[in-house]
Amino acid sequence: MPPTESEKVGDLHEKIDTFINELKQGNFQGSYTVAHRTVIILRSIVSHIRWKNAGELMELIRREGKRMMDAQPSETAVGNMVRRVLKIIREEFAGSRGRNEEGDPQESLHKLLRAEAQTDDYSLPIQNLKPPIIEAIGELITELETSADNIAAQALEHIHSNEIIMTTGKSKTVETFLKGAAKKRIFQVIVAECAPFYQGQELATSLAKAGIHTTVITDSAIFAVMSRVNKVIIGTHTVMANGGLKAVNGSHTMALAAKHHSTPLIVCAAMFKLSPQYMCSHDQDAFNRFVSPQDVMKFSEGEILAKAQIQNPVFDYVPPELVTLYISNIGGNAPSYVYRLLSELYHPDDHEL
Amino acid sequence: MDQRDVVSHFTDILQEDPSMSTAVAAISTLIEFIQLNSAETMSEMRDKLKEATETLTKTDGSATSISSGCELFLRFITLAALDHPDFQECKSILVERGKIFLKKVGSSRKKIAKLGHPFIRDGATILTHSRSRVVLQLLKEAAEAKKRFNVYVTQSNPDQSGNTMHNELTAAGIPTVVILDSAVGYMMEQVDLVLVGAEGVVESGGIINKIGTFGIAVCAKEMNKPFYVVAESFKFVRLYPLNQQDVPNHFKYHASKLSADIDLSREHPLVDYTPPAYITLLFTDLGVLTPSAVSDELIKLYL
Repeated sequence: MPPTESEKVGDLHEKIDTFINELKQGNFQGSYTVAHRTVIILRSIVSHIRWKNAGELMELIRREGKRMMDAQPSETAVGNMVRRVLKIIREEFAGSRGRNEEGDPQESLHKLLRAEAQTDDYSLPIQNLKPPIIEAIGELITELETSADNIAAQALEHIHSNEIIMTTGKSKTVETFLKGAAKKRIFQVIVAECAPFYQGQELATSLAKAGIHTTVITDSAIFAVMSRVNKVIIGTHTVMANGGLKAVNGSHTMALAAKHHSTPLIVCAAMFKLSPQYMCSHDQDAFNRFVSPQDVMKFSEGEILAKAQIQNPVFDYVPPELVTLYISNIGGNAPSYVYRLLSELYHPDDHEL
Repeated sequence: MDQRDVVSHFTDILQEDPSMSTAVAAISTLIEFIQLNSAETMSEMRDKLKEATETLTKTDGSATSISSGCELFLRFITLAALDHPDFQECKSILVERGKIFLKKVGSSRKKIAKLGHPFIRDGATILTHSRSRVVLQLLKEAAEAKKRFNVYVTQSNPDQSGNTMHNELTAAGIPTVVILDSAVGYMMEQVDLVLVGAEGVVESGGIINKIGTFGIAVCAKEMNKPFYVVAESFKFVRLYPLNQQDVPNHFKYHASKLSADIDLSREHPLVDYTPPAYITLLFTDLGVLTPSAVSDELIKLYL
């Protein structure tokens, strides 16, 4: 017997609660899984919960989205996906009203001068708003799923034969990128092991299995080896609104070393990682995540622990001046262009949820 | 309404409300001018408005923001005229639109203060240059949000407007210290961020501001301190200076000095140009912008 509507809604709430608990515990490997699950949940919300008009739907998404975001504020992928879905709803609404999207909902001097009534009344009930929204969200999911492959397809343009590439940490995007290039080019990769999580070592094993000549170095050797490197390619957790990065710790060191040697720094990041937040200061709330210092210094070394303060941050901020190019699923862009991508992906009213 | 009335109306508005921006006062003067004007065609109106703008820039107020504000207003008119063939109707619509425009720019400082104050953290030390009403409002807003910070303001010769800023900040309960312009290099290591206003924001994303700003920007860049600019959107100017000499003379010197026939090379300029490379972010009522986003905004307007 097919589940009744109230059963489906109950199931959905349960799914959301499980997701929120997992977010709180920080169990996820990479922002891709988080983003994917968020969009699936949002799609279920749109299809299963009853709503009368676009305004109500947006309020619903915003509410559930905020709950998920508050569970783990440093995980920006949740907020990004919520904003994307809100933008989809706005677009479908505007499209069904027959109005041509002006293509730019941002405040602009132009808008200021035309002084037309700006607000769309989202509480107007529109027939058949649900199927196009669900379809558009489905396209978003496809975009998410194919983002790594789209980025890898651009690999051949950026990696040439006999080059030495440096990377750090274990980014799925970079791994696919390098393996994509390895099919047609022969090059070497130097991987910084990225203590204290040592994910660089996992990446190195995986690349070696794909037949790429790989070397693992310690983080302290980054500067020393940099003079031999042709390009630095890293992944990131988030791309901030000013073009800076929130990447795995150790990225800032690598970026500074690359700048010093004038080596280009290429960042492979899919569009779902782009966040409209600015970094206001280094100790901003929820910018960084601190995990157990066990990895830095074992609890068994109790005597020292009592006298020292040990921190284990997960992320690093890399300023936009150090980045040469962003490769995303829609192509390559300069860091100074990020503001433009932001305005295409998100509506300015959604920046503050 | 003739040119002398224009000037007297303008100065009256400024006297009544000294916290009002000169550009806002100029725009409301122009609206008054449209209402009392006897022009019969659009092009006559436009010419008269251009004359009025010239007169206003000749007063000793901030030439940059007056001219950018008035140019935006003129642009506003060019956009409207295309819609309506009947002139009297046009005039009343213009006045109405002008009032809406005025209201929007009047609220721009509040918007900026709201956008900018998350960037001021508890315990921060801020350096600012000379006297800027937008910066003042932003700092007041941050203080009201119960943030504790202290401010260093440069004395800013030749008019020593830094002292006025100091008094205003102290009155708002913010611990402020006036420093010599030459002490900026010394203070920079203690400062967490630099916050300045702007008299004009140019197409490249750079700013035109009170003389001394460029030096502070270079120092901040060297010491890795963020340099934030706060400016309302009507200050965006259609200018692209490539260096300091490129900035037009009517921005650099007071109008009274330009009309007198003196040797400008012996005169001290009032403003300088800070290139976009030294600016971290701009807080405007259009949102927080990177310098590269500024030219996009200007293109959107003028195309």
